[in-house]
Amino acid sequence: MAKNSTELIDAKLPAQPLFRGLRPDLVGQRLVLVVAVIGIWWLSSLSVPHYILPGPARVWDALQLIVTNGDLWNNLGITLWRVAVGFTVAALIGLPFGIVLGANRRAGEFFEPVIPVLNTVSSAIWAIFAIIWFGISNATTIFVVFMTAMPLIITNVWQGTRTVNADFIELAQVLRMPQWKVMTKIYLPTILPYFFSGARLAFGFGWRVSLVAETIGSSSGVGYRLRQAADLIRTDQVFAWTLTLVIMMAIIEMGMMKPLENYLFRWKKDAEAQ
Amino acid sequence: MNQAECTQQTSSQAAPTPPAIRLGNIDKSFTNGNQTIEVLKNVNLTVSPQAIVGLIGASGSGKSTLLNIISGIMKPDRGQVCIYGAPSEEFNDWRSVSYMFQDDRLLPWRTAIRNVEFALEADSMPKNERARRAFEALQLVELEGFEDAFPYQLSGGMRSRVALARSLVTEPRILLMDEPFSRLDAQTRMLMHEELLRIHQLKRMTVVFVTHDVAEAVLLADQVAVMSPRPGTIREVVDITPPRPRDITRPEVTSTMQRLRALI
Ligand SMILES: Nc1ncnc2c1ncn2[C@@H]1O[C@H](COP(=O)(O)OP(=O)(O)OP(=O)(O)O)[C@@H](O)[C@H]1O
Ligand SMILES: [Mg+2]
Repeated sequence: MAKNSTELIDAKLPAQPLFRGLRPDLVGQRLVLVVAVIGIWWLSSLSVPHYILPGPARVWDALQLIVTNGDLWNNLGITLWRVAVGFTVAALIGLPFGIVLGANRRAGEFFEPVIPVLNTVSSAIWAIFAIIWFGISNATTIFVVFMTAMPLIITNVWQGTRTVNADFIELAQVLRMPQWKVMTKIYLPTILPYFFSGARLAFGFGWRVSLVAETIGSSSGVGYRLRQAADLIRTDQVFAWTLTLVIMMAIIEMGMMKPLENYLFRWKKDAEAQ
Repeated sequence: MNQAECTQQTSSQAAPTPPAIRLGNIDKSFTNGNQTIEVLKNVNLTVSPQAIVGLIGASGSGKSTLLNIISGIMKPDRGQVCIYGAPSEEFNDWRSVSYMFQDDRLLPWRTAIRNVEFALEADSMPKNERARRAFEALQLVELEGFEDAFPYQLSGGMRSRVALARSLVTEPRILLMDEPFSRLDAQTRMLMHEELLRIHQLKRMTVVFVTHDVAEAVLLADQVAVMSPRPGTIREVVDITPPRPRDITRPEVTSTMQRLRALI
């Protein structure tokens, strides 16, 4: 393509930034909110014992302690690793399975009742089964994350497969495209947004249930540390761990998932802008 | 019918080469729930190689259905489709046949140029070669500068020009077009007419196009086939003889237009 054509485009089309620009007024609003929450927290902590509600300063000290002695990184790392493994296995199984269920009517009809049943089983029940089967090990947490994430991914991919436009299949047919190219060039791009929103949901759920699994079936990880801190009535440490989790989730969601989604699906008409 | 039937009927003709397209006694009906509508009834049409044939007829008379059948994506209930003397089922050079649908069918997740490239992706071809040809096709339809626009960022007319570029990029031997210019403004439409005739001079492909615009049919076509509605049959095939470039104010052209209007 000619070099100067890109300049032409820039002049004619709205820019497609990887990161949406931060609105200054919104940043201000968020800052006010954070300050207000910390203020209320501090005020309420003055009138109750610290093992019920530790003040911001105490929690800050606890946070600094787990950061400096390496506790934070070790446990956050192991938890994140377990979530990632469970989630990846769920995605690797859920994506092809969802496509098959969506593309094959008979398979879809046969398995239709299974997914809602899986979705209604509480993660706590999976955790109990996991302890029976795997004992105190990495596999316990991974299994719980997997069992929670997989039905979500399958459901979404399945739904996505049903939205594949028959007209586009016909277009590929006219071009006599081989079947595998129809899969990669039409099915996959159609399903991708559905897979992505399923994966995001699954990752969020997986992250949360991993803590439940770790509190009862593990001797390391953030969930284990949380329970330990609670057993010792170190409420400041419970707060510190909770805070790191919230920050971690925010970074993953806003720093990685959202920009990636904006970039991958930049071809979609921006509904928010309308 | 079989191979013999496709060639046999052509051997009796004066032309040494078989027709590009031959339709023999095509029937097609659709069933919606419990009611069946006969859309095509005993359709016969012969299109010689390199000819430009216009197809006109009332809405719902089965023009799109006919193109679907020619392109091989729809099977007739009865009758024979021959492409270059071979029965449709045995014809194996489908990649030299282009079909521009009535709707643009652009893939929303692809930019304009990537949509044009799509037509070249059935075969393997070096990536930059594909991009170069797609870029040239977009230039042809006056869309330079919009290569990287997504379909939602284009107007209806621009989208149909991307679809036109996509159907031209493969340099087809047979070009089927379903109302290719209907969403363009008069100015752009005239440009596209000139462009089509210029490409046709150059590449000499066979063209079958559907239009609702009698003037367009008379400006472009060597022959215009008029379809009658429900069930659709070819009522008449009118030869358009005035030499190109044609002027729709010339009396021999206007009289042909009047004749066609009366036939619809
Ligand atoms: N896939 C289908 N299933 C059922 N009915 C169909 C189908 N395709 C077309 N029809 C019917 O066949 C008839 C002819 O349709 P077709 O699209 O070929 O008409 P057309 O001549 O192209 O009309 P227009 O000028 O409006 O595009 C219509 O009555 C339509 O309802
Ligand atoms: Mg039509």
